[in-house]
Amino acid sequence: MKNKLIIKQRLLTIFSSILFLLVGSCDSFVEVAQPNSQLTSEAVFKDYTTATAAMKDVYAKMRDSGLLTGKSSGLTHLLGQYTDELISYQTSETSAFPFYNNSLVSTHIFVRDNWNSAYSQIYAANAVIKGVNASTVLTAQQKNQLIGEALFVRALLHSYLVGVYNACPYVTSTHYEQNLSLHRLPINEVYALCIADLEQAVSLLPVAYVGTLRSRPNKRVAQALLARLYLYTSQWAAASNAASAVLNETSLYVWEPDFNKVFLKGSTSTLWQFAAAGTVGNTQEGLLFVFNAGPPSTASLTTALFAAFEQGDLRKTNWTRTITGNATWHHSYKYKQGMGSSATTEHSVVLRLAEQYLIRAEARAQQGELTTAKEDLNFIRNNAGLPNTDALTQQDILEAILRERRVELFTEMGHRFFDLKRTGKLNAVLSIVKPGWNNTDSSWPVPESELLINPNLAPQNEGY
Amino acid sequence: MNKFSFILKSGTINFSLAVLVLLFCTTTWASPLSSRQQTQQQITGTISDAAGPLPAVTVTVKGKTSGTLTDQNGYFSITAAVGDTLVFSFMGYKTVEITVNNQNTIKVQLQEDATALKEVVVNAGYYSVKDKERTGSIARITAKDIETQPVTNVLATMQGRMAGVDVIQNTGMPGGGFDIRIRGLNSLRAVGNAPLFIVDGVPFASDAIGNTQTSTNLPTATSPLNTLTPSDIESIEVLKDADATAIYGSRGANGVVLITTKRGKTGKTQFAVSSSTAFGQVISTMDLLNTEQYITMREQAFANDNIATYPATAYDINGTWDRNRYTDWQKELTGRTAQITSMQASVSGGSAQTHFLISGTTFQQGTVFPGNFVYKKGGVHAQLDHESIDKRFKVSFSGSYDIQDNDQPSRDLTRVGRNLAPNAPALYNENGELNWENSTWENPLAALRAKALAKTNNVIANTLFTYVLPYGFTAKGSFGFTDLRHEESRSNPSTVFDPIYAATAQNSSIFVNTTNRQSWIVEPQIQWMGKASQAKIEVLIGATYQHTATNRMLQQGSNFTSNSLLYNMASAALVRVLSDDDILYRYQAFFGRLNLAWDSTYFINITGRRDGSSRFGSGKQFATFGAIGAAWIFTEASFFKDHFSFLSFGKVRGSYGITGNDQIGDYQYLDTYQSSTALYDGGVGLAPIRLFNPNFSWETNKKLEAALELGFFNDRIFATASWYQNRSSNQLVGIPLPSTTGFTSIQSNLDATIENRGIELSLRAVPFQNKDFGWTTNFNISFSKNKLLQFPGLETSTYRNQYVIGKSINIQKLYQVTGVNPQTGVYEFKDFNGDGMLTFADDAQVTKDLNPEYFGGLQNQIRYKRLQLDFLFQFVKQQNWNAASYYSTPGAFSNQPTSVLGSWQQAGDVVSTQLYTSGTNSAAANAYGRYAYSNAAITDASYIRLKNISLTYNVPTGSKGLECRLNVQAQNLLTFTNYKDGDPEFRSFNYLPPLRIISLGADIKF
Repeated sequence: MKNKLIIKQRLLTIFSSILFLLVGSCDSFVEVAQPNSQLTSEAVFKDYTTATAAMKDVYAKMRDSGLLTGKSSGLTHLLGQYTDELISYQTSETSAFPFYNNSLVSTHIFVRDNWNSAYSQIYAANAVIKGVNASTVLTAQQKNQLIGEALFVRALLHSYLVGVYNACPYVTSTHYEQNLSLHRLPINEVYALCIADLEQAVSLLPVAYVGTLRSRPNKRVAQALLARLYLYTSQWAAASNAASAVLNETSLYVWEPDFNKVFLKGSTSTLWQFAAAGTVGNTQEGLLFVFNAGPPSTASLTTALFAAFEQGDLRKTNWTRTITGNATWHHSYKYKQGMGSSATTEHSVVLRLAEQYLIRAEARAQQGELTTAKEDLNFIRNNAGLPNTDALTQQDILEAILRERRVELFTEMGHRFFDLKRTGKLNAVLSIVKPGWNNTDSSWPVPESELLINPNLAPQNEGY
Repeated sequence: MNKFSFILKSGTINFSLAVLVLLFCTTTWASPLSSRQQTQQQITGTISDAAGPLPAVTVTVKGKTSGTLTDQNGYFSITAAVGDTLVFSFMGYKTVEITVNNQNTIKVQLQEDATALKEVVVNAGYYSVKDKERTGSIARITAKDIETQPVTNVLATMQGRMAGVDVIQNTGMPGGGFDIRIRGLNSLRAVGNAPLFIVDGVPFASDAIGNTQTSTNLPTATSPLNTLTPSDIESIEVLKDADATAIYGSRGANGVVLITTKRGKTGKTQFAVSSSTAFGQVISTMDLLNTEQYITMREQAFANDNIATYPATAYDINGTWDRNRYTDWQKELTGRTAQITSMQASVSGGSAQTHFLISGTTFQQGTVFPGNFVYKKGGVHAQLDHESIDKRFKVSFSGSYDIQDNDQPSRDLTRVGRNLAPNAPALYNENGELNWENSTWENPLAALRAKALAKTNNVIANTLFTYVLPYGFTAKGSFGFTDLRHEESRSNPSTVFDPIYAATAQNSSIFVNTTNRQSWIVEPQIQWMGKASQAKIEVLIGATYQHTATNRMLQQGSNFTSNSLLYNMASAALVRVLSDDDILYRYQAFFGRLNLAWDSTYFINITGRRDGSSRFGSGKQFATFGAIGAAWIFTEASFFKDHFSFLSFGKVRGSYGITGNDQIGDYQYLDTYQSSTALYDGGVGLAPIRLFNPNFSWETNKKLEAALELGFFNDRIFATASWYQNRSSNQLVGIPLPSTTGFTSIQSNLDATIENRGIELSLRAVPFQNKDFGWTTNFNISFSKNKLLQFPGLETSTYRNQYVIGKSINIQKLYQVTGVNPQTGVYEFKDFNGDGMLTFADDAQVTKDLNPEYFGGLQNQIRYKRLQLDFLFQFVKQQNWNAASYYSTPGAFSNQPTSVLGSWQQAGDVVSTQLYTSGTNSAAANAYGRYAYSNAAITDASYIRLKNISLTYNVPTGSKGLECRLNVQAQNLLTFTNYKDGDPEFRSFNYLPPLRIISLGADIKF
């Protein structure tokens, strides 16, 4: 009997222990701590260093993917192929080949990824604005710096989006409920919003650069982009003034006379460049364009572009290179460091001084200030070892500026395409040299996948 | 009941103490059995069947604990008293009972029992159940099915053999994975449809351990399931319905795969060795254009584009390359024979109390690519059971350690083999070096210098303690542990580049991914079994505590000093850590089961589980799941016994219940920034990683099943038909978002309901069974229909162009081709809304379902004297994408399938293939883009495959106790299909098709 009692007691112990597991609250077992590779959004904007890291990551993303990357998927390459700057040596339909052939489809991966990464980068910029605004820790100066940068980035990306895709949504918040059904805004409205953002950025950003090697935009950088967009929207006086504000900042910006040094990381004619990804290796542009024996694997300059340089143009000798084998090929040589380079000497330049001279020249010419327009144009020409322009009439000067832009700004983020487009010359120029050119090719298609998911983006651009 | 309520009130002592108590405080209950003193006598005898002596037959004395097994000669010896009943039982034979009189020797011939199937005890996870009495839907294969197949992946062994289980091989690349779907797609999330895998009681996380950066040669990142060794497996049970899966609660929605490894048996120590050599070749190739056809296509393309001078880059026809050269690139690049060797050895045996088994395996597979690539796999498996003399205490351990070492090219050459122009240059120049043909092509063999290496070490161990308590109670404690370490790398040495670039080791780079995953699980349980008159009651309650910690790190090293130092990160001038994540998953549950049986005729089974998971935010972590199942063996009723004597067994069963799904990844409820990998201006950036939504919770899956099981003519024919309907709702998905939101999706619950409804039939027949000749046949077929039942707001949601209410969730919306315009030569499509424009949203109105309509297998086993032939036909009725959706516009610089021949050439041509273009005709390019998403791009891809055939000869050895078997086995021997573009079994096109493997082997046992 005693034995049985002991048995009963022990049974009780076991049962009650297990039942304890069933009744006892063990919620804490499944509450796990935040992983050590992550920070909450709130915490990021409680500290200037982490908030800055959030902003820097947007630049890193822009450097490495999307519209502004120097990789073969970015505008430098794709718009070069799309217009008359580059020849494609890739032949796959998933490469830049359909861009070269002007036979784009709305499902092309680059059409999709450029759109998607731009909006993803815009989201990150908007998240910085939201986080910084909500922060109770950052100082007003710190807030101005970061919000100014984020507004600049937002305007920059939208300006390229509207350039290639035409009408597009302008995203200013992080609310996905709103952003999932956005409509495309007309081209002029997008530019107006870009300009408004940039004007605010100009008011927030200081003249002095933060960070190293001009890798983060300052007030003048915002003004430089503003000058471009005023020009694109025919606001000549404003364009001229904004360019002057940049050009007059002579304590920072000094013309680099040696064309071989313009794209070096310490160049004084650089307004804004992407910081390198590390201490070794150079730019994506260099990897893309430079080759030492032909035929190249990706791209070479068209003979038409090579022929567009006037006799004696220093840019031809310094910024292009000819490779001879069983045929002759030319490549863009603005960035010298290709495959096999090690120490970082070059950074990817986004905005530089020469464009500002050409913007002001054009804006002045448009306003009838022909003499000062020619001064700016001749400044560029003389520095390139060329004589003064012989253009006399306003029309001739404008033509001369456009020609100058072609040889100054080639293979730099699609200038050729945007210039031909805004001056209405796209069809006239390209239909002659591009067998696949159609008049509807003035814009890329909106990615099919986006149209399907947000029908408010309809209609698709004409021709697709 | 009083006792229970009393116990319920006192709950204070903590859990660990309970476990200790369970394990150690045991001996006091050992109450000695008092046995009557009677005259004991020694009884010996032999047991045989129609074919001869039968070893390992269990001989017991009814009502007593004593027992023995027959030896190799069927001989046994046991002590029993007059009046005792000896019971002779052996799996697959009818049990015989003989009362002991005064005889000293007994000879028994056992009769094979076709009904064996229902005597089989099926593993249902936390409990086991006689197949005859089960209330749930459970499919099963055993070692007998596995050992006829020369395969290395556990999932491969299940293909075609289990009703309702759809297994697809993703690639023929060694180390590549399989997809498994049990009763269709339940979740809108592509990754949310994997079943739960349990190996010897330990959950085995099946989420990928590879990284897409390093698993570039596979369609999906490396799966950990490859490490399991099929030859170690005793049985695989697949739990399908609510009754069987609800006890797994939140993880049971997609079914549960229970893998049980082999165990030792009482008897003489047995050694077994088997080895085989096999040869594997790609199962099928595509019909591609030859050089003449190809050149004609290209010439026509440029003519159509009005381009008279071939561009400088059109090397294939502008004279740069020989226009007459021909290479069959598929044969050249993927046409080698892979040599495969494998070997297994095991020792097993045991006394009445202790059993053991130790086995080791090695496996090595060569490659079909040109080059030396090897996949190696090996492992050891150990198993130990011990039972106390009084049979109260039992401990059972099983552990396995498996290693994989995979050395493959980083790129699968299948795609390039299918796309390369047939007149592309020679691979080697006259010096025997790679030929780059003056930089006019990328030599495909250069890609083989970039390697994908993978090493996996995997330990799974489990110990189960069982103690039989008085009053019908049994306490159990299960402790499991897994430790998986995986490292894979993808190198990109400078030698892959054309030497003209003068690339050096500074241009070499490597990605290294390491994944380490450790988990432990503790599951204390108490069972109670009671009997009252004709009722039998079983109760089980238990708890689960599971902890899984995963660390993943992806690094990139570049700029090396020498290519020989490529695998040394310290030699890279630039090292980037691309990701470094520690992921903790914790899971806690309480579960229970109540089973009532009445008169061995009526059965009710109630199971339930309350689950908590760290994958959800605060307040959303817990949910309750449960099911009820019932069965009635109606042939137990005398009415049936009297009137339907041909019907030897009949059972109806049904079940209903709710299970869940928490496969949504970890930490998804947090609003966080993550260290991004990119450096900028001297620092690493921080990037927002998702749109924030903390309010998502469990997805639920309601399963309903009804089944009929019938045995005829003493179960020589045994048929099962089951009908099921699974509805999953509160879908937990990454709702797709337009990129203007900054992300492509947001984690959220969606009020959509998906139904999977189907019928599964399986039939087993034993038409002949005698000493010299036996024939067994198994047939299974599964029909399933997937349907999106409801989706409020579908029309305004971002899913509007993907799904249609009332149709499968695996449909594709497509344009409808109306033909080739005789004037322009370009494909035309039906403009459904007649607005004169073709848009996907309005005009892709044709839908095709990519789910299989039905699938199944027919398996036969024919035995004649010493020869045994096994073969399995697998069949699938399905549609799949064809080459049109993967090839570029015909006419471009890429080879094409022969189906593009006969294109439009001039106005007035009425043909079915549009004009060729070299790439400048944007109308043609756009039309082809739509054609790739038209009804012409998805075609019938049904097939019947002689999946497996195995011929075994049992060699007469002349020596007792020595067995020798020789076998010839083949996998994927023959395929019958109308699908033209390679093998019809794939999820992603352009990966290496499954291999046809022919193997020769020998097994020796002594």
